[in-house]
Amino acid sequence: MKISYNWLKWYVPQIPEVDKLADIVTYHLAEVESMEKLEGGDVVLDIKILPNRAHDLLSHQGVARELASLLEIEFKNPEPLYKIPNSNPTNLKIKIDTDKCRRYAGRIIKNIKIGSSPAWVVEHLESIGQRSINNIVDATNTVMYDSGQPTHAFDLDKVDGGIIVRQARDGEQMTALDNKEVKLSAKDMVIADNTNILAIAGVKGGKSAEVDSNTKNIIIEVANFDPVSVRKTAQSANIQTDSKKRFENDLSPELVSYGMKELSGLIMEICPEAVFEDIVDEYPVKQEDRKLSFSLHKVSKVLGVDVTSEEMKSILDRYNIHFEEKEDGIIEINVPPMRLDFSMEEDIAEEVARIMGYDKIVPKLPKIDFKPQANDIFSKISWSREKLLNDGYSEVMTYVFRNKGDVEVLASASDKKFLRVNLSDGVKESLKLNQLNSPLLEMDEIKIFEIGTVFKKEGEEIHVCIADKKEVKEMSLEEFCKSMPETSPGTFFQVSSEKNIGENSKFKMWSLYPFIARDIAVWVPEIISSADVEKIIKENIGDMVVLGPKLFDEFKKDGKVSYAFKVIFQSYERTLSDEEINTIINKITEKLNSQSSWSVR
Amino acid sequence: MEQNKKATIHPLSLLANQAYSVFSELGFEIAMGPELESEWYNFDVLNVPKDHPARDMQDTFWIKSKEGENKEDRKVLRTHTTNVTARAVEQAGKKGRLPCAFISVGKVFRNEATDATHEMQFFQIDGTMVGENISIADLKGVLSTFYKKILGDDVEVEFRPSFFPFTEPSIEVFAKWKGRWLEMMGAGMLHPNVIKNCGLDPKKVQGFAFGGGLERIAMIKWGIPDVRLFYQGDLRFNQF
Repeated sequence: MKISYNWLKWYVPQIPEVDKLADIVTYHLAEVESMEKLEGGDVVLDIKILPNRAHDLLSHQGVARELASLLEIEFKNPEPLYKIPNSNPTNLKIKIDTDKCRRYAGRIIKNIKIGSSPAWVVEHLESIGQRSINNIVDATNTVMYDSGQPTHAFDLDKVDGGIIVRQARDGEQMTALDNKEVKLSAKDMVIADNTNILAIAGVKGGKSAEVDSNTKNIIIEVANFDPVSVRKTAQSANIQTDSKKRFENDLSPELVSYGMKELSGLIMEICPEAVFEDIVDEYPVKQEDRKLSFSLHKVSKVLGVDVTSEEMKSILDRYNIHFEEKEDGIIEINVPPMRLDFSMEEDIAEEVARIMGYDKIVPKLPKIDFKPQANDIFSKISWSREKLLNDGYSEVMTYVFRNKGDVEVLASASDKKFLRVNLSDGVKESLKLNQLNSPLLEMDEIKIFEIGTVFKKEGEEIHVCIADKKEVKEMSLEEFCKSMPETSPGTFFQVSSEKNIGENSKFKMWSLYPFIARDIAVWVPEIISSADVEKIIKENIGDMVVLGPKLFDEFKKDGKVSYAFKVIFQSYERTLSDEEINTIINKITEKLNSQSSWSVR
Repeated sequence: MEQNKKATIHPLSLLANQAYSVFSELGFEIAMGPELESEWYNFDVLNVPKDHPARDMQDTFWIKSKEGENKEDRKVLRTHTTNVTARAVEQAGKKGRLPCAFISVGKVFRNEATDATHEMQFFQIDGTMVGENISIADLKGVLSTFYKKILGDDVEVEFRPSFFPFTEPSIEVFAKWKGRWLEMMGAGMLHPNVIKNCGLDPKKVQGFAFGGGLERIAMIKWGIPDVRLFYQGDLRFNQF
């Protein structure tokens, strides 16, 4: 979620400077995905709120409260400052006709004047990438990003009768605020009046009761909806909104009262002439007060750190969590309504660990009384691989996904929807590729193998496939291992235990352009060494050489010796032409021939 | 005098062997398991909620059912090797082999578009240790040892808060290598529901689990620029 530093600062004036804050968030809360400096001096942090804290942290106040507790700094509670309007009796009727709506609070506000928002509202919204629309819509959005409670406003004069929260009827349609037609079914929860669907509950508002520039009277909605229902509806309608994102993560219905208070206060501030009616609050099943008992011993045992009773109590105090000490080492807390993530002892362990910081946990190496046994399949794979490597075969790995096969996947991001029935097809392609590259590989014969799983009608099986210029052979791992010696029971097939293989090696990417291989052979007097010849070749060869000059043949005759070198040319930037290589070779030939009694063959 | 260069091993095998060797020395048993997995072992056992996005077709390769097959029997290409961990712990419990520790390296599959850092198939290294008193401190010790052995003695390891359905607490493991903190794997303490689903009593035993991509370690360790190079069958890739 995008969090504005300046917005946070309203609530936690002693907040650390922004770089330090980002570190604190990273180590004690969640990943900071990015930080962006805005023109006005504000900084926006994109914090990847974890799913188990999405109930209470998808808001500036939520994050501010968390930081205040975490850092033991003052939280300036805005609630006492919210203006409380005088309120008149109301005729607003709200009817909840579905079990997917847990709470619905509505309020009629008359005599409002649609206009632009105060500068601070625009600034807040724009800082987190939101567009200012009008004072009423901005107020509902501000409350959502501030308290985490999504809210909505309908034009009262466009509503026929009262508010009905119900499941849609199959085939019903709604025109959304963005003019998109949405087809609904009985699985979708909607807000309706006597004739129209006003909104898809928790997901998106509709056109029929839209607040526009002529709106005089409104109904504000502050509600709580079932998370799974909201998620499924948004998914089937393919609509992503910030409101939906909050509801699908499960909000506490208790937050509704707060949202109503904040939104009413804000509208009163923005439209001083507005006339408020009483809140109608349908809350059929109140959220249960929950208690959670945990033992300090268990928390310490999970973390591997002794957490003292004092440390525990200090954390609970900082987080304003009421608790009672039961018998020895057992603490019972009243779970704050917003902390839907607290449901077991391990949740408390996590809370303690992240607040303390995982760096406080000292690593130790466990010694357990466990006698590992050899894994038969692993032993066979290892033995096969070692054997084949010793026999001069190199290992390849190829793709599992193919164009045809016995087993098909339902959907794939690629066009290859089948699982391989053999290794041979992939290995043959690999053989061909490597044969073309054999000069580069310094291998005169390509011998390769793959050990991997194949998928047949009967099920999966591990195969071994071996390929060289003579044949491509494939068999089951079992069959390949027929000649494997019995290992004595309880011993492993020894895996290589060299430490940190290739520690100082660095991968070298090859050129994707074709290579050109050339041989250079020269007769020289016997006293001349191959190194002398190599030196001259190197001096004249240019910078397109990827391999060589490499001596591959040497023989003596009549007091002379013939040295033959192989050179491979390849560019990382382009395809080389035969002509340019000929020019280089001609130059080398000339140089070599110019030495007394040397002659290029 | 022309000679074939020595046969070369695939870098992932090299790295997997090294990982197996480190964990074997730490007392872990090697475990293996199926690549085509039931929904139960890939998701349910691990406390992944029924409507969790990870179960969507967009992320996971579901296998087309055979004729007459029940929906409950539908198979999935495993999305992690944590299925092996769960199976191994379940077996160990049945045989009374507790405490226990398992390590597995295997191929896993995700249905996503490929690019330089994403592949539809990759290897995951996954491990667990379960016993009466196994803690986050033990996890830290084990993973610090692993990364020091595999990336070098100067490597530092740190934990940051995270969330996974199968662990509580959940953490993200970072390693500091050549001055940079790099995200390496996910880990945590096995969620009591997972312990229960493996047939054990979470009041009596607890344990840690971890899992992360092997290619990622290889790419960091050797500076390999593109994950798609691993499965080209090109021997120029076998450089170590």
